[in-house]
Formats: sequence, structure tokens, C-alpha cells
Amino acid sequence: MQPAVELRGITKRFPGVLANDQTNLVVEKGEVHAVLGENGAGKSTLMHILYGSYQPDEGEIVLDGQQVRFASQREAIGHNIGMIHQDFMLVRPFTVVENVVLGLRDERGGILDLGKAAARIKELSDRHGLTVDPWARVEHLPVGVQQRVEIIKLLYRDARILILDEPTAVLTPQETGKLLATLRALTAEGRSVIIVTHKLHEIIEVADRITIMRDGRTVATLDKKATTEAELARMMVGRDVALKVRRTPLRQGNPILRVSDLYVADDRGASAVNGVDLSVHEGEIVGIAGVDGNGQSQLVEGLMGLRAIRQGSVEMAGVEITDAPLFDRSGKGLVYVPADRRGVGSVATLNIEDNAILGNQRQFSGAGSLLRDRAKSRSHAETLIDRFGVRTPDIRFPAGKLSGGNLQKVILGREIMRDPRVLIVEQPTRGLDVGAIEVIWSELLAAREQGKGILLISAELEEIRNLADRIFVMYGGRFMGELRSEDASDEVIGLMMAGVSAVGAREVGHVEYV
Amino acid sequence: MWNMFERRLAPTESPWAIAAMTFGSVVLAFLIGAVLFLPFVSNPIDAYVSLFEASLGSMRGLGITLNRAAPLIVIALGTCVAWRAGFGYLGFEGCLTIGAAASAWFALLALDGGLAFIPSILFFAVAICISFGAGGAWAGGVGLFRSRFGGNEVLISLMTNYVAAFIVQYLVSGPMRAPGSLPQTPRLPTETWLPGIIPETRAHAGILIALAATGLVWLLMSRMRLGYELIVTGLNPFAARYGGINVGRRYVLAAFLAGGLGALAGLIEVLGTQHRLLDGLSGGIGFIGIVVALLAKLNPLAVVPTAVLYAALSVGADAVQRSTGAPSSIIFILQSLIVLFVMASDFLRYWTIRLPFKSPGSESGKV
Repeated sequence: MQPAVELRGITKRFPGVLANDQTNLVVEKGEVHAVLGENGAGKSTLMHILYGSYQPDEGEIVLDGQQVRFASQREAIGHNIGMIHQDFMLVRPFTVVENVVLGLRDERGGILDLGKAAARIKELSDRHGLTVDPWARVEHLPVGVQQRVEIIKLLYRDARILILDEPTAVLTPQETGKLLATLRALTAEGRSVIIVTHKLHEIIEVADRITIMRDGRTVATLDKKATTEAELARMMVGRDVALKVRRTPLRQGNPILRVSDLYVADDRGASAVNGVDLSVHEGEIVGIAGVDGNGQSQLVEGLMGLRAIRQGSVEMAGVEITDAPLFDRSGKGLVYVPADRRGVGSVATLNIEDNAILGNQRQFSGAGSLLRDRAKSRSHAETLIDRFGVRTPDIRFPAGKLSGGNLQKVILGREIMRDPRVLIVEQPTRGLDVGAIEVIWSELLAAREQGKGILLISAELEEIRNLADRIFVMYGGRFMGELRSEDASDEVIGLMMAGVSAVGAREVGHVEYV
Repeated sequence: MWNMFERRLAPTESPWAIAAMTFGSVVLAFLIGAVLFLPFVSNPIDAYVSLFEASLGSMRGLGITLNRAAPLIVIALGTCVAWRAGFGYLGFEGCLTIGAAASAWFALLALDGGLAFIPSILFFAVAICISFGAGGAWAGGVGLFRSRFGGNEVLISLMTNYVAAFIVQYLVSGPMRAPGSLPQTPRLPTETWLPGIIPETRAHAGILIALAATGLVWLLMSRMRLGYELIVTGLNPFAARYGGINVGRRYVLAAFLAGGLGALAGLIEVLGTQHRLLDGLSGGIGFIGIVVALLAKLNPLAVVPTAVLYAALSVGADAVQRSTGAPSSIIFILQSLIVLFVMASDFLRYWTIRLPFKSPGSESGKV
């Protein structure tokens, strides 16, 4: 049987970057094929070449034994290839059916028959167990359902080859399980699924075969049954990584940050944080697990004074700071590494030196804090890139051109060098590769050993379980319960992330909770 | 052939490439201008020579050019401050008008003898402060509106231009009108005129005010903490807020400074050139100044040569018409083409030329 897709010797150059270097990929009909690699390994470029977004400089694309060339995505779609991007390509104010027919041209006489389309969507969703109301507005649907809409969009176009870029990044473990089951069912119909990811354990669960990429090259294609997570990790980074970290025994000091009965609203005025109690002590890492969008961001913004607090109080070392502006909070030793590195944590077009003083610009000014003290900020930036191992030509390099890992080192380093008492870090390793994650984790643990209190908000269970001394799970703006890290199994946290209380989760997961 | 061009992932920031593109745009505009001259002159180069001789080649011409450039410079500086802080202010016509009215009012006070005792240097210092303050308050109001209520400053500031124009119309036809038929104020006392700076020319001290303002704006934007905060606010208001910067206050400050600078253009026009307040005084300078700032890529130091060249083209336009019979509109077409090409050349930054003999793999990797 001909393979569904064969990419032979694909090479793609961008100015200054060799994204794909003689890359090969063979995807059989009816298999789930995982493309695994660190960020920047060339996975996405390869997929965009298959999807017609880029044209390869060298190499050929063979579909079903026939060599093809795609000048555009439209041509790839015409060959029954579909792609779901990491950020969904849905028009949020449109209904499901409007989104599905968007871009199709098969309506006669320019008249749009949404009713007919909706009936077909219904039929597709029934057949594949993808429950979706065709008339619902996308903006009102949860993320997991939006992803179903994306899948239906592809099935509506009868995609035989489905490419999914990091499909599980935004899902709960339970939603992920459902998605993987759906993908299995699709391959049973002879469709091929390509999953691009850097999450090892999910791949092991669902993939039939795995292609590992590194530095733009194909390292190997392996049968799932014949490999292990450890082997895959090693092939991905080209060295042995131990993402298990060594935490020193907890030396909990005095409580510093104390939050009681906190209520915070989101942008639309709806309540996003509903009565949160929390304290962070010196020398401990408190983790807040949970799927994105359950009030974590609003909680942090409330704590930092970036969002008005409706009710409740925040204290730093016994001083109430509930309504203090951010500037006063950081003066009291409460600093923050935001989740959005490029959109909030840094100014992309400014250089590293200018970014290294952001938030602390008064300390780097002389003459009554009027004139900037360039010598001081320059040496500060030099120290920062030295101490945190930021890979950059110099401190005049624009921050936006740094890789995600190096930019995060600049931001985390900047905040740690302010010598805070409490450090709030939100999604500190999202989208980073294994090497950078190691650095960030060890810096956080080092800060903990220095007696700083750390509040870690993360959607990555592995991160929470490896770093946190105490774990809260947030769902719907509330804490579903508190766990000691040694009691927190993936299963229990996963259930709590889906809204089951700690008590309920304990019954299912058989753990003690504190 | 097509393989020679390749899209870049990010626009080039090489200063050489940008300078070459800007220069190329200007040359292209001059070439097209030359074609337009062909029906009128045998050699378009002659037309360009007489253009620059009239505006820059003689002391007299240079004086007029500098007088024309001075208000453009201060308005372009105001644009730099406001726009780099992310405040899309377009109300410089209004600021100019308000600044003109304020300085005329203050100078007429001197005519009435109320200020006859103060030395002239002090007069100019106070006039600058009053004019700056009036324009700053005028524009600052728009800034306050934006930071309090989140209004769209682009539209609001554009509308305020008309309000300012009608206020001056009211003043010169009513309270400040000189006896006589024309709607204008009396001529200002000669002691309140900006002094000449080059003998035998009309060049007045307006250009000195503009150069001093350039130095101060450069200091603000590149050397002061406030300038850093303004730039961060403009580039990324979310990062600014996260950095403890009060974004609303920075907008108000940027608007105040921009308005004050715009008002200085009015002062220069009234005390330097017109010597009275009259209706329709600005003549579009408030918008041309924005164009100058854009051509100078919002860089305060690049504003000065850009404004001088732009003013030289305007001054030389009449001379060309006199000496060659070619309509001066050719020069205005030329000016517009320069603006158009320089702005459009920005897209070239996204492309690179791949030379056949250069191995593509040899380029250095991205950090």
C-alpha cells in the first residue's frame, strides 16, 4: 500500500536559518503519526510545507504515490489535507456553521444555504461523537469544544490527512483523553493524523509511530511499541535529560503574602476569582494548578494591582496592600513574571538593556531620578545575561528577537535580581524547550532556597508536581482543595482541574489531602 | 529571477539598508519630477539647480528657508513625542493656532504698555512659557479625555483643529480686532518681534527656538527616565503597566508636551513672520509637520535636516516657476512623491536579495 504522505529530502531556508535540512517523513494511511521535537526543531515549518503555507527549496511531496506541489494552502486543502493550528483559526463572533463553511465556494449562485450545512455538521458530529451545536456562537464555547469545531471543519472538507499542531496545550487531561480517542476513531476510517508536539507522555499513549526531529533534521522514525519515553527524550535533545529535579527539604519560614477571601472580576465584569484564601511563606513554592482560563490570570493581576479587587484583602508582611498600585507592591518585595513574555513581560523592539530595567527604571536613574544612568543599567544588563546564561550577541540585541527561553531568562533574571520577598511566576516554561525549562526550574528552586516565597501558576502538571511544596487546584475561580506535593498524583490533580473537589478526587484517587 | 528575492521573517533593521532605501526613494521622486519638467525645460537639471539656488544657494533664500523650516521642526518634534508615546495626536493645526493667539495676546499686552518695563529676553521667555502652556493645556485636554474615558484621540484631536480655528476667527473679528476692514489684530510692537539672526536676510530667531527644542526633545527621549517610560508606553502599554508606569498619566504628559511644541510653531509664525494674529494663519503647517516627522522616522535629530529640505523645496518652487515657466505644482508633486515613496519603501525591508554566487547556508544562525 502506498503511504498517505511522503516528504522526501525537504530543505527550507529562511534568511539566517536553516529550518529544514533534508527532512524525511513517511505517514501511512490509518495511522496516528507523531512529530516530536523541541521548539525550533523545524516541526512547524515541515507541517506548513505539507499544508502549502511555505514552498520547499528542495525535496518533494508525494501523496498516495503522486508527486505534488502546493502553491498555496487552498491547493493543499484541495488534496484533502487539513491543519488545526495551535491557536484556533475560528471567527469568534460567528456560529459553528458559519465557521465551518467559511472559505468554501461550492454554493451555487452565491446563495449560502446554512441550513443544509448545519444538517451535514450534525451528521458528521453524530457519526464521530463530536457533539457540537451547529448554531452556537464559537465565542461561547469552551476551548475543548472549539477544537471539535476545528476537527469538524476538516471533516466537512473530507480531509484525509489531519495535521494537529500542539493539540493538547489548552485541554484538561480528561479533554485530552477524549480528543485522543476521537483521533483513534478517525484513523479507523483510513484517515491519517499527524500530531506535532513536544509532550512525550501523550504521544506514547496515542501514536502508532513517532518521528523525532532535531535541528531541522529527522533523527529517527520509531514504532511506539519499540521505544520508551526516556529514549524519545534523549533523541529529542541529543543528550540525557533528567527533568526530575532535586528539591531540598522544605524550610518554611514566616508567612509573607497573605490573601483572604479574594474576589476579582474579569474584563467583562463577570466574577473570575470567587473567594480565594492563600498564604505564601518564606522558602516555599506554592503551586496553583488548573486549566487556563479558570481565574488564575485574574487572581495574579489582582495580587499585583493590575486589576481591581472587588472584595477581600491582600497583605505583604502584615501590611495591607489590597488597593496599592503595582509600584508600591513591588517596593514591598512583591514581583511578578507574567505568562505573556512578549506581550506583557517585555518590550520586543527595545534591547536587552532597556528591558532589564523595566519596572525598576527609577533605580537606574540619577539626578533625582530624572536622567537615566546608562552606565548602571548597562552593567546591570551585563550581569544579568552572565548570571542567567542568556544566549545573545550583546545587551544591545532586541529582546523580541531572543528565543523564548532566553527571553524568559531575561525576565525571570530581572525580577530575581530585584531581590524580592515574594515572586509570582505565571506559566514560566510555557512553550520552552527542555534545556530552557531546566534552567528556569533550577533558578526557581535556588530562589526558594534563598528563602524567597514563590507562587507558581502553571497549567503543566509536571511542573507543579516537580516544584511546588503545596498545591492548590483552581477551577471556576475557586480552589478545589489543597494538596501536599507528595499526595498529588496526576490523576487526582486532573480530576480537580476538571472541577471535582479534593474530597471527591480523593475518593476516586485514594489519597490523603491536607 | 524570482529566486533572487526572498521574503524575510522580520524586517531588516540595518541602518545602511534603511538609509539606502530612503535615498533611493528621494532619487526616484526627483527622476519622476524631471520627467514632468520636460515639457517646459530642455534640461530638468537646470530646473533643480534653480530650485536649490533660490532656497539654499543664497543667504536671502536660506533665511526664508530657515523661517519656513522652524515651525515645521517644532511640530515634527511634537509628533515625535506624542506618537512615540503611542498617542496618535493630529491636532497640531489647532495647537499652532492656540499658540499663535496666546503669543499675540501677550505681545499686544506689551503694546498697551503694561509690560513695557521688562527686558526683551525676559519677554520672549515668558511668551514661550505662555504659548507652550496654552498649547499644552489645549492638547492635554485630549490626553486627559483618552486616559479617563478611553476616547479615540485621533478623531478628537482632528476635530479640535476646527474649534481652535473658529476661536481665532472669533478673536480677530471681535475682541482682538484692529480698527479697519480686515479681520486681524493690530500689528505687534517691533520690540516683540523675534530678532533677526543673519544680517541682510529675513532669518529670525525662530530657528534657534526650534533647534533648542530639538536638543531638549532628544534629551527627553534618549536620556531621561520619563522618555524611557513614554517610549515603553508607546511600544507596549501592557508592558508599561506591568512595569509600574501609569499609562494614563504618560498619555496626558505626551499630549501636553506635543501641544506645547505645536504652540511654539504658532509663536514663531506670529512673532517671527506675520507680526499679527490673523485668520487662516497656519496654512496647513500643522499637518506638514506631521509628514516631516514621519519622513524623519520619528527621530528628533533627523527632523531638522528633513524639515529644512522640505522647506527648501517649498521656497524654491516659486523661483522655479519664475525662472523656467514650469508650474510650481511640479515641486508639490515632487514633495508628495518623496513622502509616498519613503513610506512605501518600508515594505522593501521585508525582502532580501539572494545573490546566486552566495551560498545561502553560509549565513549566520539566528540567536
